[in-house]
This record gives sequence, structure tokens and C-alpha cells, in this order.
Amino acid sequence: MTRGDGNKSVKRRYYSFGLAFGILFGSVFNDRAALSDEVDFAHEVVPILRTHCIKCHGGHQKEGGLSVNTRAELLAGGDSGPSVVEKKAVGSELFHRISSTEDGTRMPPDGAGLSAAEVAIIAKWIDEGAAWEPGFTFAPQTYEPPLRPRRPQLPEAIHGREHPLDRILDSWARVHGHAVPENVSDEVFLRRVTLDLVGLLPTPEQRAAFLADTRPDKRALLVDQLLADEIGYADHWLTFWNDLLRNDYTGTGFITGGRTQITSWLYEALLHNKPYDQMARELIAPPSPDSAGFINGIRWRGEVSAGQTVEIQFAQSVGQSFLGINLKCASCHDSFVDRWTLNEAFGLAAIYSERPLEIHRCDKPLGTMAQPNWLFPELGNVDSSLDKSRRLEKLAELLTHSENGRFTRTIVNRLWHRLMGRGIVHPTDAMQTAPWNEDLLDYLAVHLSDHRYDLKQTLRLIATSAAYQSQAEVLAENSESGAYVYRGMRAKRLTAEQFLDAVWQITGAAPVGMDAEVDRTRPGEISQVAGNPRADWIWSKQDASQAAAGETVAFRKVWDVTEVPELAIAVVSCDNEFQFYLNGRMVGQGQQWDVPNVVELEGVVSGQNELLVVARNGGDSPNPAGLWCEVGVKYADQRIDKFGTDSSWEWTQQLPNGDGQFLESPKDWQSSSAVNHAGIWVGRVTPQADSLLARGLHGDVRMIRASLLKSDFLMRSLGRPNRDQIVSVRPTELTTLEAIDLSIGSTLDGYLQHGARSLVSRNWTNRESLVRWVFQHALSRDPSTEEANVLAEELSWPLKPTEVADFLWSVMMLPEFQINR
Amino acid sequence: MSRFVNKEIEFEMRREFLRKLTVAGVATLGLGSPNLLARSVEGDVRAQAATADSCIVLWMGGGMAAPDTFDPKRYVPFEVGVPVAEIESTFPAIDSVVDHIKLTEGLEQIAQVMDRATLIRSHVLPDLGSILHSRHQYHWHTGYVPPQTVACPHIGSWMAKVLGPLNPVMPAFVNIGQRLEGVGEQEELKAFTTAGFFGSEFGPLNLPFPEEAAQSVRPPAGMDVGRFANRQKLFRKLVDQSPQRDYLSDFQYESQLRSLENAYRLLSSPERAAFDISLEPAESYAKYDTGRFGRGCLLARRLVENGARFVEVTTEYVPFLNWDTHADGHTTLQRMKKEIDQPIAQLILDLESRGLLNRTLVILASEFSRDMIMEGKPGSNANDQTTEPVEHLQAMKHYGQHRHFTGASCVVMWGGGVRGGLLYGASSAERPFVAIEKPISVTDLHATIFTAMGISPQTAFDVEQRPFYATEDGKGQAATEIFRQV
Repeated sequence: MTRGDGNKSVKRRYYSFGLAFGILFGSVFNDRAALSDEVDFAHEVVPILRTHCIKCHGGHQKEGGLSVNTRAELLAGGDSGPSVVEKKAVGSELFHRISSTEDGTRMPPDGAGLSAAEVAIIAKWIDEGAAWEPGFTFAPQTYEPPLRPRRPQLPEAIHGREHPLDRILDSWARVHGHAVPENVSDEVFLRRVTLDLVGLLPTPEQRAAFLADTRPDKRALLVDQLLADEIGYADHWLTFWNDLLRNDYTGTGFITGGRTQITSWLYEALLHNKPYDQMARELIAPPSPDSAGFINGIRWRGEVSAGQTVEIQFAQSVGQSFLGINLKCASCHDSFVDRWTLNEAFGLAAIYSERPLEIHRCDKPLGTMAQPNWLFPELGNVDSSLDKSRRLEKLAELLTHSENGRFTRTIVNRLWHRLMGRGIVHPTDAMQTAPWNEDLLDYLAVHLSDHRYDLKQTLRLIATSAAYQSQAEVLAENSESGAYVYRGMRAKRLTAEQFLDAVWQITGAAPVGMDAEVDRTRPGEISQVAGNPRADWIWSKQDASQAAAGETVAFRKVWDVTEVPELAIAVVSCDNEFQFYLNGRMVGQGQQWDVPNVVELEGVVSGQNELLVVARNGGDSPNPAGLWCEVGVKYADQRIDKFGTDSSWEWTQQLPNGDGQFLESPKDWQSSSAVNHAGIWVGRVTPQADSLLARGLHGDVRMIRASLLKSDFLMRSLGRPNRDQIVSVRPTELTTLEAIDLSIGSTLDGYLQHGARSLVSRNWTNRESLVRWVFQHALSRDPSTEEANVLAEELSWPLKPTEVADFLWSVMMLPEFQINR
Repeated sequence: MSRFVNKEIEFEMRREFLRKLTVAGVATLGLGSPNLLARSVEGDVRAQAATADSCIVLWMGGGMAAPDTFDPKRYVPFEVGVPVAEIESTFPAIDSVVDHIKLTEGLEQIAQVMDRATLIRSHVLPDLGSILHSRHQYHWHTGYVPPQTVACPHIGSWMAKVLGPLNPVMPAFVNIGQRLEGVGEQEELKAFTTAGFFGSEFGPLNLPFPEEAAQSVRPPAGMDVGRFANRQKLFRKLVDQSPQRDYLSDFQYESQLRSLENAYRLLSSPERAAFDISLEPAESYAKYDTGRFGRGCLLARRLVENGARFVEVTTEYVPFLNWDTHADGHTTLQRMKKEIDQPIAQLILDLESRGLLNRTLVILASEFSRDMIMEGKPGSNANDQTTEPVEHLQAMKHYGQHRHFTGASCVVMWGGGVRGGLLYGASSAERPFVAIEKPISVTDLHATIFTAMGISPQTAFDVEQRPFYATEDGKGQAATEIFRQV
């Protein structure tokens, strides 16, 4: 039985109860034949108790002497005697009370009470012996997590599953009598792991290569390959870290200089895979202003409460980001929900504070000054005689102390959550609560410190486990209402950034410029292609410094090809915009001269090729115009060559139509001129262009990623948080308002139109080939026969852009697209 | 009683709503919204019978000067050389239909509907250093002074979250008239124009331009209704044929499909027409057509008629524009009054003639008031915000209320169970014009509004393991005196 079936049977059961209840009240509970299986305590009973009983009989409440915190207490009953007769609902006080219609007898006393179906579940549960999840309680938690790291003993492998995480999980499943989820197919794994590690969809080419790969360890090799993609990794994980460290490119505080970014530092740290302990040290005791934004928080204009000064923000941020400890309560008063006190919150703040920090309770000064004090003095403390920077260094040392197991557990739990869909401690910011599996958490934590705090090693460990490579759990709405039971990974909704990146991958509509100030050059990357002299900036005349606004010129280069290259890339910059055609087909366009565009020249043929660029000068008064292009080619034997704009490019003022075709072949082609004012562009364009071309020729054309852009309406709508506060976990459901934006919003519609036009212009053999390509790219699978049939009916041939746009939309709205399962 | 669904359905909707709120899993799964705390389950949340089903906030963004609008003081006309300290109001007082309520010149139409209103003249705001308007606006709209350690929900989101939509196809929270891009303090405005920790399901549908609202519920440009419907059909076919249809019982999977269906239901519903103010009869349209705010009032009326739960219409806050008068205040207010007077009065009359005013609470408010001189609230930390401070009037641009003042501001509440013709609280007759009778804070004002809507001010949600209340720390006390006695 698959998990899906199991879930359906639960639903059916509710239904049959509802029917039976009306007809056969009283006898149905013993009629086991009518019922498929036993009541599920965690998913069926707990929600009922939680909804109807614990307000008066749970936690510290014990009205009428009855507490339902534990099975023993529930069975023992209260002032009215035992509440349950063993395995007999009828006759049990509990059943009597919840099913009574008499005022004064019925429980709960107010409101509509339990529904008939709920009463039936409780009755059946009693009849079956009132099973209780071991260890589950409604009582307040008194758990205190261990401070020091712990190295768990790995259990024996079961069924030859040697991976350490599988040894822990398989053994847990055996002890608890749970099934181990089944392995997923290669295509499911490919999509899952690519999205998880680099945030992108695998391309149809990557998919084909992976499926064709017969190496037995190809999954582990893929994990390594993805983690080795430094730029893809940094682009993707930037989102996670920006959320966790509340870093953004715009937002509250920037306008008044009350806040600084750590973007460049953070991106570089990810690109170079800086060890996590070092990252933490540089954030807490910044060696340069580049990483100082985290501890300095947001300096609000005007007056703020004592619980929100930058010093207290510091304590809260350090507690939440690195330790998953919530000091927000304790910033005002001793916490009611965990052990943190006002003194501890202020003590942490005092490490950062440059002024004497008076302790305030609920915004009222107490007359005592906070002393620098770290949360776990067992590991050492911060000497108050030190100056601020030394104090911060000491704090950084204590936080990243090898004996501080809470530091490593917090981050590995977050990474586990990102990949497995739920924290081992959950929510991930509640590290003061118990993990569902201590061995698992502790193993991951010591593994991280054993591997010099290399976060990629943790990701690798998780992604190479059979647990990660298995079927995701099918969740019911109340799956979380009882004690958590591990039934495999949980599907993850794509983040706003993943969704947009995926849309851009398919539609080719990614923006051309980015907001984040980051250097997306791979460490040690060749940043220049050797070859012929550098291209010129050209126009129709040598002095185009005062070209008319709107002046539009067509340039062409006739390119004789004797050996068809394996790859040809053009890097183009034009002041102000251009469309690029290869042999009468548009292959690229751009609007920003300072962000050069990479154009892939697909379809180069042997013999004469025509490169045609329609260049337009912008502005509303005369201003400089120029076009610059370098074409790099790579041949089968890896030889590289390049050429660029020079006097061999010709120009005409006649303009082609939107398909790059001239109505009449121009007869006035003239040699173009290198302009004499290229200095205004060179400094900005050349270094970028060199790197783009070099990278492009290595098959590495880098799309601008959503993580590198300021949040916009669509991203906000899809759950990218306003990073005024630390919001470490994104919403997991698509809401109606988001669905409205996705249904009619002009942003997504624009991407779809762009994508449809560009897809229609490609050379598809037939419509099936387009459908297959879209399915393979979007969902990493081929369309089923039924799906193919539907689309054969819906799509015309030749393709129509509107129909293709609607097809793309329909695929992108599928839960299968938006949920990483 | 809802006009959109019958009693049973409404009851079921509420049950479903509360059920969702109390299902523990929703929070711990991180499914976008926190849990309602056990201590405020059904009985407590709806502390008393609601006196209103819908709520409209008319937001005078930028700081509406009470002495020049709803709390006239001694009028001194413009004259070169007059000491500024002698001027209290720059508009003369006018009568309203209620004997003991005077307003100021320029509010003649509103004066005619004051018999349906309670006028509060003692709304007191904290002095946050009086610098960023948006911080005070954040406070007024969420009930919490920023910064906070969690993202606080807008009061509209509280209503959307606790009460749900009135008409299931209408978004529960609509925000009209405020641009969030391309204006000053836009990041700060976004910070409170949000459902915060409730998640975007409960956030606003933003309609900055009322005349373009129809486009917000229309298929994308260039897509006709037929194609829009066909696209939805294709989508459904692909869902039906998906090899993943086994996951239909999966919560996330199902939830996504449900949201897309809900969206389509609105986008193809007859209620969609409510968003199109061009469909309003010309005569009626003209009554509202004083500017963006006036047309926003019209849109608000049409939405409430069709079952919107909470609508805010703002005169739009843009630093140094509209009510944010740091110079030339008198002249600016002449324009502002012209823009708001007739549409607001018409909104009240239209709601009344449609039988909706009884169940619609309309609230006019602003983040603080203003004064001519610096004295302000004793102990104030406010700096002088006047662009050209003078002691004696020299030019018309000096004539107006140019300093922020938090000691007493005006709030007007119409309909929704509040008493008509009631004057609540008073400000001092002498400078500083601080509240001297029945001062009412944001916390208590919100408690009053929530109570009218049937939400207990003590309603709490579990946010990061601590209770977060509808009114600050659950302390809000409703000013029950303003409710009609039943």
C-alpha cells in the first residue's frame, strides 16, 4: 500500500463513521468488520483533545481534578472517578460526557461540542484500548538541550544501508515499527537535488545525461558536481542566508543610513565555501566593515523601546540566527516559555554595547547595569574589562567553541530542514525544544565539526543518504497535531526565488541586471579569452558622441565558417539597446549598456552566416551611441577563437522587420567606424565582458538569479520576507492572493509571453517535441500519454505564441512544478 | 447576518475558519500562519455579538490637523504680522446637523452626516520622536510601536484572519489609494501594509489607483475572457491527467489547487464588476469624483456592497504632500477638504440608503494631529518640523499647522453600531490642545474597533512560542460608551 492509499482510507473512514453514526448509534463501535483499521492517536485523537479538552484539562489546567496530559492521567480521571472503562466506550465517563446532550453533563460545557464523527473516533479509540504515543504529553515541556556535542554510536546497518544517517533512521524505524519509505526514481532525484543544492531545475540535457549515466554511484557524483558549482551554490544559498541574517538590498533603515548590507561578504563566503565557524566569527567580530551589518542591526529613527535598541537587537539576532534561541521574550522580562532571563538577554547585549546598558523590564529602568555575560558560562565568559572589539572576539570564540554543541546542532538542523522539509527540532528557531531524534541531530552536528565546519559536507551527507533519496511523505492537514512521527522527507514549496529562477530558465526571461553587489566569478576562473585584438566600439560615424536620440542603425557581419564550431557565444553591449539576429532569427536582445548581454549563437552553419544587430540610441536629446560585440567560438578540439566589432562590420539605415528580414536587401552597406569616444564605456563593460565570454565558452552562461535582485511585488507575494526581522522559514502554502497574482499579474504574464515567443521561434520538429521539452525542463519527466493527448488537442501546429504561453502557465501552476517533492 | 450566504453556510464557514485556526499543525508545519491560542478559542474570540460585519478605514495619511478639521479652536484669519502663537485654527468653525458638534469650514457635507457619527477628540498617540510618519502609521495600523521582533499584522489582516471573508469570493482585506513603490518611505509603508506573521493569505489586495482596480481582477492585458477560461480548462485537464494525482490528498498539493480555484472563482465571478468603478452610473460617479481619494471611497462602497470585510482608503501618504503640511498648510487643507468632504458624506449616505450603514463601521483617522507652534505635548522630544519657522505671519505659506502634535487627534466613526451625534472626549481649550477628557490610546481605539467587529481585544495567537494579542499585550479596553445600547 502506498502512503497515498493509506491517507485516503482515513478519509473514507470518517465518511463511513458519519453515516453509521446516524443509523446504528451504540452498536457500531464493536463492529470491527465495518472498519478498516485502528484509530490513529496522533492524527485523529490528539486534534480532538487539543481542540475540545486541553483548555480546561491540559497543561497546568486540571478542572474537576481531570488532566488529559498523559494517558495515565486521562485514564485515572478526576472527581467523577476513572474516565475510561477498559476497552469499553459505552459505560466510560469520558464517552458519556462528550456524547451527552444535557447541560451540566456534556463536555466541553460551551460551544457546539464534539461533532458526531469526533465522538465516534474517541469511542472507537477507547474500544481499541486508548493507545497513546509513547512519551507524548500535553504538559509544558521542561526539556533542556545538552550543551556539549555528543557522538552517538551508529547502529548496525539494516539491509546493507551503510550510510550513517540511514543506519540511524532505519534502526529508529525498526524499533518503532515504521516502514522505511521507498527510493525515488532517478528523474525525481535529479529534480529534487538540483533544486535543493543550486536552486535550479535540471535542464533536459542534464536530465538526458543523468538518465543515460550507468555508473552505480551516479547520484553521489551528481551531488558532488552540484556542490562543486560554486556560483550556482552561492546564488541559491544566498536566499537562505539573507533570510537568516536579515540582509537585503533595500528596506527599512537603508534610506537613513541606519543599516548596512553584508551582501558582498556573504556572497564571497558562499562562493569560497568559508567554514561556518569562521563565518560566524566574522559576523560577530567583524574583521572589516563588510560583515558588520549583521551585529549592527537596524538603527531606527526616533525613539525605540528598551527591548529594541541595537544592543538588544544584537542579543536577539545572535541568539536566533546562531543558536535558535528566542531571546525576544527575555528582552523584556524573564521568559515565560523557556529558561532565558532578562539578565541573560541584557548580558549578551552588554557584550556589544559601547555604553553602560541599564536593564529595563518591560521598558521600565531597573536601576541596575547589565554586565557582559554569555549564555553558557560553562564554556567560559567574556571579561567585562575588555574593550568592545575584544569582547566580541571572545564571544565569537565562545560561540564557535568546539564544546558548544548547540552552535553546530542549530545549523545542521536548519540544513536538514531545507533538504528534508522539516527540522529534527521543529520549528528550527525553537532549539530549546527536544529533537525527535537526538542521535540524528547529534551525528550531523559532530559530523560538521569533524569536517572543519564545511557546510557542503553536511549537505552532501544528507543528500547522499537513502533517506533523502526516498519518497516524500503525503501530508494531511493535521499531520502535525500530535507527536511528530518521521515518515520520510516532506515536500518543499519552491521559494519565491526558486520559482522565478525556474520560470526564467524555461522562458529565457531573466532580467539582465542585478541589484546585489557581488562578484560572480568562480574562484580561480580564467577571466579572459586570449585571441585577436579587442573589438572596437562602432557606429555609423566616427564621432557618434552626439547621435540623435532614437537613431537606429542595422549592423551586419558576414561570417564565413569553414569549420562549424561546437559553441559560439556573443557578448554584446549597446548604448542603448539592440536586437541580435543570426541568419534571420532573433537570438538575443538587451537594453542596458552597462550590463553586457550574453547571446548564444545557436544554428551557425558551414559557409556564410549573417550576424545582424539592430542598434538604437536612446535618450530624448542627442547623446553618445555605440555598439560593442565580441564573438567567441569553441571547436570540437577545444580550440578557442574570437572576433569582434570592427570596420569589417557594415551598416545601413534601412531596418529589417521584427523577424530580422529586410523587405528589400539593402544596397547601401557601408563600413562602420570605430568611435573616438569609447572611453565612456570601456571601463565598465570590458572586465564584465571578458569574464562573461570566458565563462560562456566554458558552457557556463549564468542567468541572473532572483536572489540577486531586490524584492519586487511578485517575490513579496510569493513569500520572500521583508527582512526587517529574521524570518528563517518561508510560508509553505500558496495563498489565494498569490494565486491571483500568478493568474493575472503582469509580471509573470510578461515572462510567459517572452518565453512563448522565443520557444515558438525555435526549430521544433513537431508540437510533441516542444511538449516533451517543456515537461522535461519543468517537471524532469516526459509527458504521459494522457497529457500528451490533451496537449495535442490544445496546441495548434504551427505553434501559436498565445497557446504556448497558456500551456507554460498551466504547467507552472501544477503543484508538481511548485512543490519540490 | 451575512448577505452572501445563508445562516447555515455562514456557520459552517466560521466553524471551518476556527477549525483551521486551532489546528495545531498549521503553525508547526510552518504553513504560513500561527495558532490561535487555546485561551482565546471560539467563545472568547467573539467576545460579544458583532455590531458590524464590514469595516472601512478612511486614512488621512500624513497627520491631519485637528484644529483645522474636526476640533475647531479660535479662528484667526490670515493677516501679515499676526503672531503665530495667537492663531489656533486657520478655518472658521461651522455648524453641523448636531447642535453641540462644530466642524471647520470646508467640511460642510460631512457636517450633514455627523448625526450618524461618534466624533472622538481625545485620541492620544505616543511621541515617537515625531520623525517618521510611517512609524506612527505602523503603530496605528498594527497596534504596536515599531520596531518589533516579529512582523506585526495590519488590523485588516486581523479581521481577515479571525473573521475571514464576508463573501467567500471577495478578498477579505483591500487597501486602496496607497502606492508602495516609487514613494518616499516606501519600505516603511510596506512594513505595516502586510499580514506579517499571519502570512500573505491574510494580507491586503493593494489597489493604489481606484480607476485601475478593475485591471487587478481582470485577465492579463491581451487575454480575452474566453482565452482566460480556456487556459483554466487546460490547467484542470493537466491536473486531472497528472501522474501525481495520487497526491491529491496531500495537504500542500490540495491547498495549492484550492487557492488557484479560489482565485479563478473571484476572477470569473460577478462580484468582479464591483472593482470597475466606471460601471457606476454617471450621476453617482460624479459625486465621488473629487480625486483619487474620492474615487477610492466609491470603490470601497462597491466592494463593501459585495462583501468585502475590511477596506482601507487612504488620501495617500507621500512625504510632504497632502496632509503632511510642513508649509502652506492652510492652502493645502483647502484642497484636501475639497477632496474628502463630499465623497465621505456620500459614502455614508449611500451605505445608509442601501441598508448597509448599520453593519458597516466607517472610521476616519490619522497618525497624529498638528499645531501651529512648537510647544506641543509637554516633555515632547519633537523637533521643529516647519520648513520656514516664523514668529509673525509674513506670507500665506506660513499660515497653517506645520508641526506634528500627538497630544490629541480626531477620529470619526460612523455606522456599525456606534452612536450617532456623540461627542467623545475633548481637548484643552488652551494650548497645548492635549486631551483633557477621556483620552483614548491606539490600543483602546483598536479594542473598540475589534469589539464592534466581534473580535475580542484579548484574542491571541502563538507566535514564536509566545502570545501575540490583537491589542498590545491584550490590554485594549473598548470605549463601550460609543456603542448604541441595544
